[in-house]
Amino acid sequence: MTGAEPAGVYVHVPFCLTRCGYCDFNAYAGLDHLASRYVAALLREAELAAPTWEGVEVVSVFLGGGTPTTLEVADLKALLARLRQEFSVAPDAEVTIEANPDTVDEAKLARLLEAGYRRLSMGAQSFDRSVLAALERIHQPESVRKAFDAARRAGFDNVNLDLIYGAAGEAVESWERTLGEAIALAPAHVSAYALTIEPATPLGRQVARGAVPAPDPDLQAEMFEMACGMLGEAGYGHYEVSNWAKPGYECRHNLGYWERRPYVALGAGAHGYRDGRRWWNVRPPEEYLASVERGELPVGGFEELEPADAYLEEVFLRLRILQGIPSSWVDDGREEPYVESGLLVRDDGQLVPTERGMLLLNELVLGLTA
Amino acid sequence: MDVDRIRNFCIVAHIDHGKSTLAERLLELTHAVEGRDMRAQYLDRMDLERERGITIKAQAVRLTHDGYELNLIDTPGHVDFTYEVSRSLAACEGAVLLVDAAQGLEAQTLANFHLARDAGLAIVPALNKIDLPAAEPDVRAKELADLLDVDADDILRVSAKTGEGVEELLRAVIAQVPAPGGDLDAPLRALVFDSMFDAYRGVITYVRVTDGRLVPRARIRFMATGVESEAEEPGVMAPEALPVDALGAGEVGYLVTGLKDVHEAKVGDTITTAGKGGATEPLPGYREPKPMVWSGLFPNEGGDYSELRDALDRLKLSDSALSYEPETSQALGFGFRVGFLGLLHMDIVKERLEREFDLELIATAPNVEFHVIRADETVVVHNPAEMPVAGTYDRIEEPVVDATIITPKEHLGAVLDLCQSRRGELIDTNFLTPERAEVHYVLPLAEIVFDFFDQLKSKTRGYASLDYEPWGYQEANMVRVDVLLHGEPVDAFSTIVHRDKAYAYGKQMVERLRELIPRQLFDVAIQAAIGSKVIARETVKAKRKDVLAKCYGGDITRKRKLLETQKKGKARMRKVGRVDVPQDAFIAALRVDEGAKKK
Repeated sequence: MTGAEPAGVYVHVPFCLTRCGYCDFNAYAGLDHLASRYVAALLREAELAAPTWEGVEVVSVFLGGGTPTTLEVADLKALLARLRQEFSVAPDAEVTIEANPDTVDEAKLARLLEAGYRRLSMGAQSFDRSVLAALERIHQPESVRKAFDAARRAGFDNVNLDLIYGAAGEAVESWERTLGEAIALAPAHVSAYALTIEPATPLGRQVARGAVPAPDPDLQAEMFEMACGMLGEAGYGHYEVSNWAKPGYECRHNLGYWERRPYVALGAGAHGYRDGRRWWNVRPPEEYLASVERGELPVGGFEELEPADAYLEEVFLRLRILQGIPSSWVDDGREEPYVESGLLVRDDGQLVPTERGMLLLNELVLGLTA
Repeated sequence: MDVDRIRNFCIVAHIDHGKSTLAERLLELTHAVEGRDMRAQYLDRMDLERERGITIKAQAVRLTHDGYELNLIDTPGHVDFTYEVSRSLAACEGAVLLVDAAQGLEAQTLANFHLARDAGLAIVPALNKIDLPAAEPDVRAKELADLLDVDADDILRVSAKTGEGVEELLRAVIAQVPAPGGDLDAPLRALVFDSMFDAYRGVITYVRVTDGRLVPRARIRFMATGVESEAEEPGVMAPEALPVDALGAGEVGYLVTGLKDVHEAKVGDTITTAGKGGATEPLPGYREPKPMVWSGLFPNEGGDYSELRDALDRLKLSDSALSYEPETSQALGFGFRVGFLGLLHMDIVKERLEREFDLELIATAPNVEFHVIRADETVVVHNPAEMPVAGTYDRIEEPVVDATIITPKEHLGAVLDLCQSRRGELIDTNFLTPERAEVHYVLPLAEIVFDFFDQLKSKTRGYASLDYEPWGYQEANMVRVDVLLHGEPVDAFSTIVHRDKAYAYGKQMVERLRELIPRQLFDVAIQAAIGSKVIARETVKAKRKDVLAKCYGGDITRKRKLLETQKKGKARMRKVGRVDVPQDAFIAALRVDEGAKKK
């Protein structure tokens, strides 16, 4: 199948040392005893899934979680080798693994790099002790610096730092310090997320019963603007709502989601997408294991996108990235008030959100597609 | 039946003083209804009435006792229906004045007593609920005796609940209420004292024949409306409908009119024979029903204007006091400006529309009818939107009422304070007993419409009672307060208030709206203004952040559905200029004086 769109492979690892209060990912603490079975299942699933992707070039692999680095490096190496064996993974494919500062040291990192994981995404979240505590992160600010230095020494040049802003009690000054510390480490890539309260999390329940204040959207807006300013000045390009990169270090895998390129799903709860069809694996690790061990693809559900769904997705995903959407996708004049108020700019036939527009993306999407 | 052996009477009582229980007991005593067939409160027919414990529709029941024909005519018990009460009283020669032996006289009772006495009715005073531990029959008897200028020993003592004293009461009615007069040979004249619509039989009127005879299949004419029809079926309620050969002078009964619209057979009208045998002079006292309170009714979101119109048209068939005209609101769309006899009537109509016709409605704040006086004309305004611009008229007059409030002495101060704060003018204060005072005030109706009754109840721990009657118009310094969103007036929020209260009203509205209007992409100014002068202002700050922070492969489906939900929510909003206003915000903002309607 030549000429097919290149794809990404997403592998989900649902294990964590502890659960953080804000996290609503498919992740579990205390299931480490399933790790080796889980790796075996991933290897098997790759075999089961691969035939339908024959001839599709894979340009990115992303191991997310959970905390993938809770797995043994030998297993991670075997996994990547299996993916290369089953899929047409490009030699220069971007291969990312997520890591928690406390689960890696220089030796482990060196072996990961050697195994082929060339991009590291590190969950730093904050350099402020009290913010880390509010997020229920177990690591300390020093661990981030240590882990980052270790990654450098191990030879990683493509490291992302994940940051979260707007937790209860975080002031603008704290966020400014965190940004400053992150920039000082000079990572290739920075993701900065406004803390979002998900109802089905411990933090969500605390907010619902008033034990913890909900994030102040105005304060988060201010922090967003601060990130835009400081990261921009430090030479990072703002290429997606929550993502900044040094030129050439934009995350190719994640761009695939926003550009609606196909992606393969492996692991419990992982979502796959191809040609207007999206499917997702069963979420509970035990169910996932049982299904794969029976030799079945562990698909838990799927949807076929109607043209209207696809249109809405295309608009809200593409507006997240700098390339924006073609003007021709929008009914005449709908964009006008947003262009006038500085939320959108016209750029060579494209409608591109400004930084202020990115902050109000839901409004833009609703206004442009209504 | 010999006219000398007919007694037509009613019971005048306050809500909860036991009128319906007494009526039941009378039905039982006269064997009109067996005990176990007794529906609770037999005379109150509609579910709604039963739930509210009030009687909207007057009816008449024939009882026989001791060779006498006793027609018990039920009277509405609410200030909104004073005219209907007066017509019921006009059908009687006597009234039982029934007073709770624990609670004593209330304003409503007093008002209706005055109506009954002015109508020349014989008054049979009785204390009810003498079985209650809290009853103070001696104190209450003295109170009543003073009012009626009779001996306290002449006040009957009854327990409708146990039946004690009911037989004596019946005997007193026979002895003290005069027999009706009337000339059987004169041309027919029958007073319509109630009119209702029955889905199967059309319009049924309750009538008191004053002269002549009403016989089946006679050609009849309604003298006020000029409508003619055939008298399909005269009858009496005993207590179920029983057709009769004739209703003669002095008798009370019902008539199936053959009409299909209650507006053709109005309360207070006189029925006579069509053609040259008919009477020339109608019975006195007819009045067109006159709305006192107006409110805009609009279908709620997605609601259908034509459904509302059909429902009002249907309701009007059975409610001759209901009037309405189409109204267009920029904010609320197509609806109706509806006139009501009063707040209770408004509440009943709204509830019937919602309950019987399954409609969801938005009602604008109720207002009264203002007269705007210009050099050579008077403009009648019952919609704030119609109020002319200040400076284009000489003065505004507003309706005032003569209000009677009865309150325990310890709350008298609070009542006087309330009335003063509502621009009241004290007429006098009398003590009915050393413990209870009767206060007369001239009050603007607009003030009563604005949560007065709730305030009265809360300031007197529920003990005060209120009655009022129209007292004409007087000059008042009224202004229209507009509410503007982002510079755009929202017609649904405009109201006419006294200048001294404009600021408080405006401030309350803008503060309330600040909580209700969601943040938009721009600062939204919420202003209250008199003409071009802004008197209160709040701002809903522009929304700065509305974005999903993370959106990766596993998030897309969920986020798309979230956006679809938001999209539907946005579609349900109403646009005022550039501002999106949720439907709920209108309802909540208009709830400012919700309490006023509860009674």
